[in-house]
This record gives sequence, C-alpha cells and structure tokens, in this order.
Amino acid sequence: MRILRKLGFNLFTWILVLLVAFPLVWMILTSLKPQTELFRIPPTWLPETVTFEHYWRLLTETPFLIYFRNSVVLATTTTVFVVVLGAIGAYSLVRFAYRGRETLATLVLFTYLLPSVVLIIPLYLMMVELGLSNTLASLVLAHTTFALPYALWLLRSFMEGVPEDLESAALVDGASRMGAFRDVILPQLLPGIISTALFTFILSWNEYLYALVLVNSDAVRPLTTGVMTMLISAFNIEWSLLMAASVMMSLPLIVVFAFLQSYLTRGFGAGAVKG
Amino acid sequence: MATAAHAGHRLERRYARLGVFLIAPTIVVFSLVIVYPLLAAIYLSFFSVYTPTLEGEFTGADNYIRLLTNAAFWNSLITTLIWTVGTLSLQIVFGVGMALLLHQNLWFRSLARSLVLFPYFVSTVVAVLVWRWLFNDLYGAINHGLMQLGIMDMPLDWLGTMPNAMIGVILVGAWKYFPFVVIAVLARLQTIPEHLYEAAKIDGAGPIARFFDVTLPQLRSVLVVIILLRAIWDFKEFDLIYLLTGGGPVTSTQTLSLLVYQEAFALNEMGQAAAYSIGMMLVMLVFMLVYIRRTAREA
Repeated sequence: MRILRKLGFNLFTWILVLLVAFPLVWMILTSLKPQTELFRIPPTWLPETVTFEHYWRLLTETPFLIYFRNSVVLATTTTVFVVVLGAIGAYSLVRFAYRGRETLATLVLFTYLLPSVVLIIPLYLMMVELGLSNTLASLVLAHTTFALPYALWLLRSFMEGVPEDLESAALVDGASRMGAFRDVILPQLLPGIISTALFTFILSWNEYLYALVLVNSDAVRPLTTGVMTMLISAFNIEWSLLMAASVMMSLPLIVVFAFLQSYLTRGFGAGAVKG
Repeated sequence: MATAAHAGHRLERRYARLGVFLIAPTIVVFSLVIVYPLLAAIYLSFFSVYTPTLEGEFTGADNYIRLLTNAAFWNSLITTLIWTVGTLSLQIVFGVGMALLLHQNLWFRSLARSLVLFPYFVSTVVAVLVWRWLFNDLYGAINHGLMQLGIMDMPLDWLGTMPNAMIGVILVGAWKYFPFVVIAVLARLQTIPEHLYEAAKIDGAGPIARFFDVTLPQLRSVLVVIILLRAIWDFKEFDLIYLLTGGGPVTSTQTLSLLVYQEAFALNEMGQAAAYSIGMMLVMLVFMLVYIRRTAREA
C-alpha cells in the first residue's frame, strides 16, 4: 500500500514536471527533424530521421554567429562593468557610515523595479545625441539601467553576510580599509560575486526591448533581436531552423545549469526574495 | 584620552570620505543612465515630439489631458490588469503546488528541480518561439495533442482571436515565471521546523489540515513578497506579450508597456508615449512603495 502510494506520487509529480519541460524537449526534437517531417499531419512525436542540417545551415548560411558574438561581447562587458561597480558600491553601502546612505539604498531598490519603457525613450534620444545609436556601447549603457541596481542589491545582501569581525581583525593588524577589502572581504564575497555575475550575464543575454529600439543593423544585433529578424524576414517560416537557433541560444544557460546551478539558487535566496 | 577620541573621530571622518569616494562611480553612472532619463521622460511628456525628426514643441498638459480623456490608456490599463491578475494567480497556484511536490521525497529530485527551473532562465525570445510553434494552428503540437486526446475536434487559432490570445499569453507567462515562485517557496519550506508538523500530527491533523494550519501561515510572509514583486514585474512585462501577439488581435492584448512602445516607435508620438509611461509608472508606484517599505522594515 505504502509503496503504491509512493509510486503514484512519483508518477504524478514526474508527469507534471515533464509537462513543464515539454516545450523545451519539443524545441530540441523539432530542431533535429528534417523540414519535410515537420509538416506532416498528424505530427511525428519523435523524429523518424535525425538530422543536424539545420544547425549546419544556421552556422554557415545565416548571420547567427555574428549575433552570437555580439551577445557574448555585450553580456560579458555589461557583467564585468556592473559587477566591479556593484562590488565596490556594495562595500561602501554596507560598511561605511555617511549621510544619505539609506536614501541611496532605497533609490537602488526603486530603480530595480522601474519599468524599462519609462527609460527607453530618453535613452534612445540620449544615444542619438551622443552618436552612439547602433553600437554595442549603447546597449551596454542601456543594460546598466537594470543590471546595476540588480547587482548592487544582490551584492549588498551578500556583503551583509560577510562577518564584520574579519574586517576589524585585519584593520587591527594594520591593514588599510582597501587592503582589508582586497584580502579579506573579496575572497569571502566570491561566491556572491559569481552568483551576481551569472544572473547579470543571463539578464543581459536575454534582454530584448533595448536591443529592439537601439540597434538595427545585423553587424551589432545581439541574439534576441537577431533571431527574431530571422523569423520575420523568412519567406516561409522555417521552424526547424528557428528551433535550432533557440537551442544554440540557450547553450550558455545549459552550461550554467549543468555546472553552476547552486550559484543560481543562492542568488535567489540573497537578492530577490526575503521574507 | 582626549587625543585618542580625537584620532578616532578623525579616522571616522576619513572612512566616511572613503565610503563616499567608493560609491561615487555608482552614483555617476546611476545619474547618467537612470536619474537623468527619468527626469527627461517627465520633461518630454509636456512636449509633442515627432520621432523621426525628433523635433517638437511645448504643449503643456495636452498629453496628460489626452491620456485622461482618450480610451487608449484606460483600455490598456484594463488589459494590463487582466493579464497581471490572470498570469499571477496561475503562477502562485502552480508555483506553490509544485514547490510542495518538489519538497517531498521524489525520485531524481534535483533533476526534476532543474527541469522546472529552466523556463525561468531561458530567454523570452526562445520561450516565445517555442510556444508560437506549439500554438501553430496547422502543425502545432498543442492542437494535435488535444485532438488526439479527443478534447477538441477542430484545430484552434490560439493567438489570432480573442479570448484565446489573452488565454495563450497568460498561460505562457505562467509557464515562464512560475519557477520563480517555486524557488522562493521551496527555500522557505526548508526552514519550517519539523516539530510543528509532528505536533499537528499528534493533534490528529491530516495532510490537508496540516497544510492550512502549519505550512500556509509559515509561507505567508514570503508569499506577500513574491506577490508584490511578481505583480510589479508582470505589470511591466513587454517582451513576452509583444513577441507572442504584438498586442493583437487589434489591441486586445496591448498592455501599457506595449502601448508606450507603439506610441513612440510606430505612431511616432514620443511626447505622448512619455506621458503614457509616466502614467503607467504612477499606477505601479503604489505597489513599488509597498514593497520598498516592507523591505526597509525588514532590513
């Protein structure tokens, strides 16, 4: 009886989990089917012939690799910029006393919740004025608007978790504040920095709206808008090609999931939700 | 003694200066990319600006009068509320349910957790492409799956008609964002002391009574935070809806974010769009202030 109940519970839960995962499984299956098999009624649930032709076409006949490179440059630059600023800023917000500190922390939280559509119009005008429209630099600056408040907020709570005694001990031993920051706090903060960097990277990698408004040439388009133009410009929509693009676009994420997932869950605990 | 206190004071002042120095770069970047654009948006909302030439003139409160008197803003606000309430309730129900299941002793539990988390981290573009392919009226897996199961006998146009389009958008939103609820609730479930459940068991409470008497009260505070955060994020969602339906059919799924975008970059009325975005922010401000106050109280 007990084993039966256990079996039933496992079966029920796994069916739900697989239903949730189905769209992603379907994406992979579709990307492996030859084009002709796609338009069969009723559809084949498992591919009858497995082909990698769509991946090959994606890499050789479309600007996918350019988009991919742009996304890598964009997400990496944003992440490095924001994490460096954020780590130093969080240190200041948590471990120093000066006027306006609390107000500043509240402001960070406020901007973290701000809708991008409010900022997009002035940012667009600003980029035109600065002569930065249609460059990756404009996207890095635009991504800072959501990535910096996010990183600051996350790093602030990680910083609060670093014991204050460690720093005091280093100061008593004659270290300067910046020396203590480098030698004592940074190593302690490292897991938090990794989490924050991963989150920032994913946010920037997945961002769509700013890329849509600020950039409109293939040479600087990141993956999100690039892949969508492949959908719109195609004469008849090649779903298997698009699914192959989706799989390739999710590759960094799959790597993070396979090897660094604990950092992602840690980031959740520290930043977004406390209660 | 006096000199020691004096030296301590001086050190404190030096530290305060260092603290300000360290936060200065952040403040500069913040002012440049957030504060200035925010003020510029307010400023712009009093002008009529034609997007292609970026030329405009001061029109006073005209944009706001139009916002209040025309139906566009209010219709979009209602659409936004339907979307937010619909998708958020599904996220909460599925999220809490799934978290309770994944908290149990499940076979291959960590694999199941990874699979459930994945939709949250995947790009909206990827999610939308996959779902548009699933929803495809001729070859889509959903229509054929439902037909093979005998639930319906004709393929359905999922994203091109109402109310299907709104249902479709709400479902995809729930699928994409419920993992957030799962992670947050799971983390909280792990901290509920076991003895509370044992005490309830001794008192003769069944599994359902235990959920309502022990689990739910313990989850209350985290649920409030989740609902506030998700309400704010769902309210301002752009990518998912824009890419799934583009606001259509006609304007039936055009939420406020989409309205702002359309006004600015399709109808080329930047000033009016800025006014819409300020209006939208004022509506959100209520939730934002509640969330900020709550967080400040806990810190």
